Amino acid sequence: MSFTQRVRVLCWSLVCLAAVAHADQTLTPVPGRPLAPDFALQDTEGEQHRLTDYRGRPVLINFWATWCPPCREEIPSMNRAWKKIAAAGIVMLAINVGEDEDTIFVFTADYPADFPVLLDRDGEIIGQWPVKGLPTTYIVDPEGRIAYRAIGGREWDDEQLLDALRALQK
Amino acid sequence: MGVILKLMLCTALLPSLATAAVVRSADEETGLVKWHFSAGALELELVQRLPDQTRGFFLARGFSGDVADEIATSCVFQTIVRNRVEAGAGEAVAIDLGQWRRVHDGNQGGIRLKEAWIATWPEDRVSQPARLAFRWATFPTVQEFLPGDYNWGMTAYGLPPGAVFDLNVVWRQGGQMQDDWIRGIECPADVDSLK
Repeated sequence: MSFTQRVRVLCWSLVCLAAVAHADQTLTPVPGRPLAPDFALQDTEGEQHRLTDYRGRPVLINFWATWCPPCREEIPSMNRAWKKIAAAGIVMLAINVGEDEDTIFVFTADYPADFPVLLDRDGEIIGQWPVKGLPTTYIVDPEGRIAYRAIGGREWDDEQLLDALRALQK
Repeated sequence: MGVILKLMLCTALLPSLATAAVVRSADEETGLVKWHFSAGALELELVQRLPDQTRGFFLARGFSGDVADEIATSCVFQTIVRNRVEAGAGEAVAIDLGQWRRVHDGNQGGIRLKEAWIATWPEDRVSQPARLAFRWATFPTVQEFLPGDYNWGMTAYGLPPGAVFDLNVVWRQGGQMQDDWIRGIECPADVDSLK
């Protein structure tokens, strides 16, 4: 297959996925707000992040991979959202599943991510969360409970979504 | 029973008993075909993945050539499932791919589930990172979709490139089992047949 054909095939696949998989700009409340499974993971800068260290702040946790088209599509909006919420003390953690620093380094050259990108190399952490597909995002409230989930991609800089995060601070 | 009451009952049942609509379309440039199925709250899309495309994906994730080729030539579709009811309203939709049946040349068979693939790979044949990529790139065998939820991933039908089959789609909506057919699905042909 020629390079042009490969690009066409990829574009067609992405268009199909985007057309059907575009999700509403909504968050699904998680009944009973179960306690979020704790984790301690290193980010791509070598810094350790433990979920319980962020008690008292809302935390957005996004499970993703570089090869996942909807993940790629939502990363730019996550970066824009991060610029809006970081100063307010809201935490954003993107947990990459199964890939190494080199792969992510190459990826972030095209898709800049200023928020922490954590490495779940062996998939141990994602296995402890009720994730069925990528991307999946959870919003953890300041008490460490899962308040919302979003299956599939979102435009994370949408004010409606950010307001839901901000509301958890009150 | 009054006519109005009958009409009201029929209307109430419509979302869960709706007849499936299937639309087949092809991309003019690539020739790749997709099937869009909708019934009740369920929306399903099957998009052909060329064997070369799938082969390349799994080779890049650390699979050996023979295993990547085995997957790539087993009739793989990018599969997207969505509960098309607006978030916060309506019923959940649940699917179990183990209940789906395909009919090819009069023979009935099931989807090749991810658990079946993984079970055939000895530890030394497929690395852990490759297994992990396979697990997350393929569609979950069982999943419940609340209104607005969607998921995507590959499904494999265990047929050779170019084979044509009918697929019996089974799902549960609001506690009621339902099924319908997508006829004449074409497994993606291998590289030579690409436009």
